[in-house]
Amino acid sequence: MKTKWQGIELKVHGPRASLGRVSAVMSNTLRETGRTRAFYGVLIVAMLLLFGSVILSDLALVNQKARLVQDFGLFTIPLVTILTGVLLGVVLLQKEIEKKTLYAILPKPIRRGEFLLGKYLGLCTLLLLEMLVLALCWFAVLALRGGEISAPIFSALLLSYVEVMLITAIATFFSSLSSPLLSGILTLGMFIIGRISYIIVDLMNASKGVFAEVAAMRWLGRGIMVVVPDLSAFNISDELLLGWPVTPEYLLHSIGYGLSYSAIFLVLGLLVFERRDLT
Amino acid sequence: MSKILEVSHLSKTFRVGLLARPVVAVRDVSFSMEPGQVLGYLGPNGSGKTTSIKCILGLIQPSQGDIRLFGQSSNSAEARTRVGYMPEHPYFYDYLKPTEVLDYVGQLFGIDAQVRRKRIPELLERLGLGHAMDRTLRGFSKGMLQRVGIAQSLLNDPDLLIYDEPMSGLDPVGRKELRELLVELREEGRSIFITSHILSDIENICDSVVILNQGVAIAEGPLDTLLQRDKLQSSATIRLPSGEQRQAAVDALVALPAVTASTETEGAMMIRLPTDAVPQLSAKAAECGAHLVDLQPVRDTLEELFMRKAVTTASDSGDDS
Ligand SMILES: Nc1ncnc2c1ncn2[C@@H]1O[C@H](COP(=O)(O)OP(=O)(O)OP(=O)(O)O)[C@@H](O)[C@H]1O
Ligand SMILES: [Mg+2]
Repeated sequence: MKTKWQGIELKVHGPRASLGRVSAVMSNTLRETGRTRAFYGVLIVAMLLLFGSVILSDLALVNQKARLVQDFGLFTIPLVTILTGVLLGVVLLQKEIEKKTLYAILPKPIRRGEFLLGKYLGLCTLLLLEMLVLALCWFAVLALRGGEISAPIFSALLLSYVEVMLITAIATFFSSLSSPLLSGILTLGMFIIGRISYIIVDLMNASKGVFAEVAAMRWLGRGIMVVVPDLSAFNISDELLLGWPVTPEYLLHSIGYGLSYSAIFLVLGLLVFERRDLT
Repeated sequence: MSKILEVSHLSKTFRVGLLARPVVAVRDVSFSMEPGQVLGYLGPNGSGKTTSIKCILGLIQPSQGDIRLFGQSSNSAEARTRVGYMPEHPYFYDYLKPTEVLDYVGQLFGIDAQVRRKRIPELLERLGLGHAMDRTLRGFSKGMLQRVGIAQSLLNDPDLLIYDEPMSGLDPVGRKELRELLVELREEGRSIFITSHILSDIENICDSVVILNQGVAIAEGPLDTLLQRDKLQSSATIRLPSGEQRQAAVDALVALPAVTASTETEGAMMIRLPTDAVPQLSAKAAECGAHLVDLQPVRDTLEELFMRKAVTTASDSGDDS
């Protein structure tokens, strides 16, 4: 038998071929990250926490039980998913380099941008699945406590997922230029600042205090506002609590905001990765 | 037809450590490959073979120089469409089965799912992995991984194969099989770029070689020319007469102008000389009462060539290290 084949067709040109390569990397990454032990560890702990909130809710007043479960879920599910995203995102490239699997893949007719995007989207898919599993557990517990699974809850989950995608993009960006540990620290730093940056805005707008009065601090505040995305855009727990409506405009705006920032971080990551010598 | 691969004035300097100390891995290397050519890229450990390959494949950026693959810049992903590459250490995703690795690679080449389903088992069968198709790579031996590496390099029916030390880590049987496969691939008209530091491994496969030492190409060209195969040499064994005649015979034979080397033992001596001077030697031996008893053709091997070149360039450049 010969290894030479007549007229094997290689489709490497055009956007469809490009999409095919991204999806190939994506599904392999989903498979790869879905095999990480840490992932299942985090998932199981999160599920236990969610079910544990039933017991916790017994301590609450009768009419507060469902509320407590709801708040707990809204807090825990994004946090756990984001932590998973950071944990797996910072080693996304590192692992391929360390295990030398990258060296067999990149010499194929694939662009580095396609590879990076595929890796990122593969991880995002895993995180989506994680979030869905956790949400299902949460819904079960809510139902058990007589809570209502309303439309705003889905909006809250959707926005949380956009936040997850954004933080994962940040982790991917840092991992393209530094070690996993440092990337992890920097990403978590960005996450924390992003979560509380609305406070800085308040401080800057206040009539008193260092952020309002010292010019240098005002500049620092503005710098943070530009570099670090304001993650409060993805948090609608107040609206949920007070029963305020969440308008489609707000949803679209927040989703657009999150995806734009994700895209910026991915492009920055690519600019670094593109130039990197893979020895 | 145009060149398959053109490397001109390739240099790569790495920066290492906090002080960005420069390490020159490749220095001003140029060569090219014609369609169907088998090029041996030779050199000892650390001479810059893998670095050159990584530049060709766009894994690292050359510090200087220009590389064209099928006439295209090596930075374009499309230029690699017709290339099959096997890395020095073929590591693949160890949680995948060989069929899955190949399927992934096939997708990157834009091969239709239908074609993949048919070709992949065929190819694995062809490479003797039929029995291991449904096992994950985790438990694979070095030789089996090498076969997976070869299989994935052939999936796109490449015109140019780039193999980085494919013989390393294979047992003698594996080497022989690989050599046979390479001959077959060459006969199918593919160009092969193959690196090695074990020269005899690829001596019989290559048309031409580039010999690298410390990042510099110290010899380059068709193998026959480099090895001076047109000037055939022979090694003659002469039985010497005993007694007083012995020394006289030795002196007379060594004095022949064509003799390039000689060694003496108890009752015999070995003489090396161009093959066309053998009759002259035979006649002279008979004259002094000695006999030509054995004649062997001598071929300059790549090892000898390499040692000769490496030593001359090292002494030329002085104490560079
Ligand atoms: N990332 C790197 N940083 C610094 N120096 C490097 C790097 N990669 C390679 N080198 C140096 O470049 C030189 C050439 O290395 P290379 O791996 O290309 O050699 P090689 O010919 O493939 O050797 P071998 O036969 O051992 O595979 C060596 O001196 C090596 O130390
Ligand atoms: Mg090497």
